[in-house]
Amino acid sequence: MPIDTERDNGTVVARPSGRIDSSNSREFQSELEAALTDSDTALVLSFENVDYISSAGMRVVLLTARGLQRRRAKIALCSMNESIRAVFKISGFDKIVPIHESTAEAVTALGA
Amino acid sequence: MLFLTADIGGEVHQTSHEELTDLVSAVEVLAAADGWADDLTFKVTLVVDEIGQNAVDYAYGNGVGDVEVFVTSCAETLEIEIVDSGEPFDPLTEAPAPDLTSGIEDRPIGGLGVHLTKSLMEDVTYRRESGKNRLKAVTSKLG
Repeated sequence: MPIDTERDNGTVVARPSGRIDSSNSREFQSELEAALTDSDTALVLSFENVDYISSAGMRVVLLTARGLQRRRAKIALCSMNESIRAVFKISGFDKIVPIHESTAEAVTALGA
Repeated sequence: MLFLTADIGGEVHQTSHEELTDLVSAVEVLAAADGWADDLTFKVTLVVDEIGQNAVDYAYGNGVGDVEVFVTSCAETLEIEIVDSGEPFDPLTEAPAPDLTSGIEDRPIGGLGVHLTKSLMEDVTYRRESGKNRLKAVTSKLG
């Protein structure tokens, strides 16, 4: 699963695409780890190109958020379709990781 | 081995799969054939994926066995039934409850599949019958 990444002043915007489930969650995790360097201070994980996520994919989001928090880096999620947004809310993830409507909104929130 | 049996408009299709991903693809084919809305397809896929994965991972310990998935499309409702012949296990009462409130550092991940299924589907029931675990989830097709 290729993840598109953009980097601006220590903030990384990562855009995975397609489906994230138990069949590719390990790959999602390693691609995400590869996209980040220790000098990055913030990650915006955009779901604009993601159609589907299962609990296996959400586990990777949680582990990534945990890793970033441990080194005092920030994370925000954005641009989810309604079904993905519902799944994050039902799982209580919206209480531990901020979710924004758009990439621009997430970047602004992390920069503040 | 996983089996998907689908009844759409009185026509029964049965397919078997080695992998859960193939099963999920088969659900998507049914969704297209039966004209499901995107959010309905998402829900059904998620339930088949999560509950099917749990059954594949836990129903037979280290052994092997069949997991059957039945999808029945009625006029207004859609039923998913996942069946295994493992030890009696009711995921609705025996699966560990998910932790939905701890912070990032302490949040374990687990039990989400059953929780998501209960939340997304209107009616979820378990029964043990003829040596089989049968978990049935029903939702309205109308959203």
